[in-house]
Amino acid sequence: MSVVAPRLSPALARVNRRAWIFVAIIAVVTVVLALCGIGFGSTWIDPRRIVEILMGEGTRGERVVVLQLRAPRVAIAALAGGAMAVSGYLLQKVTRNELASPGVLGVIGGAGLGVVIFLALLSDESNSLVTSIVWQPVAAMIGASLAIAAVFLLSGQQASSAVRLLLFGIAVGAVCKAATLILMIVGPIYRTTQASRWLAGAVNEINWGEVQVVAIGLAIAMVGVVAVARRLPPTDLDEVSARGLGLNLPVFRILVFALASALTALAVAFAGGVGFIGLMAPHLARLIIGRPVLAGIAASFLLGAIMLIGADLIVRVLFAPTEVPAGTVTAVIGTPYFLYLVLRRGSTNG
Amino acid sequence: MDKAISVQALTIAYGAATAVSAVDLDIARGKVTVLAGPNGCGKSTLLRAIRRLHQPKSGEIRLGDLPISGLKEKELARHIGLLAQSPSAPDDMSVEELVRLGRYPHQTMLQPWSAADSDAIQAAMFGTGVSHLAERRLGSLSGGQLQRVWIAMVLAQETDIICLDEPVNHLDMAHQIDCLDLVSRLNREHGRTVVLVLHDLNLAARYADRLVFMKEGGLVADGAPAELMQEALIENVFGISCRVIEDPVHQRPLCIPIRNSSPRFGTAPQV
Repeated sequence: MSVVAPRLSPALARVNRRAWIFVAIIAVVTVVLALCGIGFGSTWIDPRRIVEILMGEGTRGERVVVLQLRAPRVAIAALAGGAMAVSGYLLQKVTRNELASPGVLGVIGGAGLGVVIFLALLSDESNSLVTSIVWQPVAAMIGASLAIAAVFLLSGQQASSAVRLLLFGIAVGAVCKAATLILMIVGPIYRTTQASRWLAGAVNEINWGEVQVVAIGLAIAMVGVVAVARRLPPTDLDEVSARGLGLNLPVFRILVFALASALTALAVAFAGGVGFIGLMAPHLARLIIGRPVLAGIAASFLLGAIMLIGADLIVRVLFAPTEVPAGTVTAVIGTPYFLYLVLRRGSTNG
Repeated sequence: MDKAISVQALTIAYGAATAVSAVDLDIARGKVTVLAGPNGCGKSTLLRAIRRLHQPKSGEIRLGDLPISGLKEKELARHIGLLAQSPSAPDDMSVEELVRLGRYPHQTMLQPWSAADSDAIQAAMFGTGVSHLAERRLGSLSGGQLQRVWIAMVLAQETDIICLDEPVNHLDMAHQIDCLDLVSRLNREHGRTVVLVLHDLNLAARYADRLVFMKEGGLVADGAPAELMQEALIENVFGISCRVIEDPVHQRPLCIPIRNSSPRFGTAPQV
């Protein structure tokens, strides 16, 4: 039996405590924003009233609006945004490159294409699925895995070079997006809102069944994330040093990529290819939280949730009653952010 | 000889190019062994192979009596520590955080952080003289301080064997001596087996118990510095004509290079 000692020295414990305080603050912001997300619509519902309705009160009309129409939309935004952000956090850590993200590495494109092929094959004439929606995230995962596998194979011997991975990721992502577009045009005709979802990413027309599938999938994936998080610290070092510490980096890298793909696939399965959250949220999380890993993952999740709830709220405020996909907002903000990161980086970790 | 590591008929290739060919080498326990040779002679590859970072094309490496190919990653990392040639870590990482990583191979699902881990970190930072820097960010350190911190990380691993790949490459003269004195103290006072790759022949002769000369992937000679520091041998291996005298301070052989004796710079001499 080993002697139990404090895991962290006072200095590191201080850093960690500070990190979790910030996580708590971000969590409060997330909850407030989620309540606003539910409250806003054709009629404004007061946040306190929403809490009451969620607790089981309210008129029948209010309950339909809140529980059936608005809450699932906000819930999926939170889960999908969070999942993509955590995926991005893992990818940025393991590649030691802050430009890495599910979008840049082609994972979102692959997952989106997987879903669109799935829908094209398994929808009937009235555009409803002939099979269970549980298979939709599975299709997304297959697409995502194939995309990341292609990126790995193309990078070949230099798969450990982040820059090569990113370049091939962008290429694979572009091919997947083009294929998705072609399928939207020549394939079975979907409703227009569906089309915008698979092209840009959106969270409208979501039902509880879909939220449930994502939530359960995410709960399982998060167990994997926590297990992986314990092994993440050595990946901050160069490859030789990390392996010298006994981390089997080639295997670990594949494991993390698989997990990140699964997280992205869960998000894309119903919310579509919302871009740049996986890039911005983890980057912002590290700016606020600093280096602690678990707090960084928690903050990434919450910031990702905030971004997608916020983006959806923006399109609803600006364009209602027209349904503009939330993904357009994240793209409009995310693209300059990506360019800023590229320009700022210079030579770090090339 | 008590062998810490034995390398048997080891050949390593990168694709078509052979980096190390048919090398046999025993590394004595508790001694400082220095691998030396011109650029591209395979010394760093051999060092990394000892830590199983390269898959041998043929041959075997044994740790004591065990083939290293059979060891688990973390198990191997509890026996052999490695300081990479150009290690890198994020600038915003703290000194203590980096040294803590040295305990990574000792942590498992069932083995939580223990007093032994904290003690090892404290001892490693104290032994390398970086305790007062514990909370500093790596980005704020000088090159000499940073190298000490990296050595502290390897030390915290508490391995019997420590491999260092050109640890003094980017350091000025004072810090080179400082760093190698530290390594030599770890060997003398803590009985660690040390394997070093060094570029500087005179530093190699000064700190080595045993010197190994490599050239074009093969092992040319191996023995005490006094045996190996012969003018003809050095000319053959390094391609420089030179004089060897005795260092009046340390009584070790000292090589004074005269001129490049090979026709083209950086290539081996035509014999």
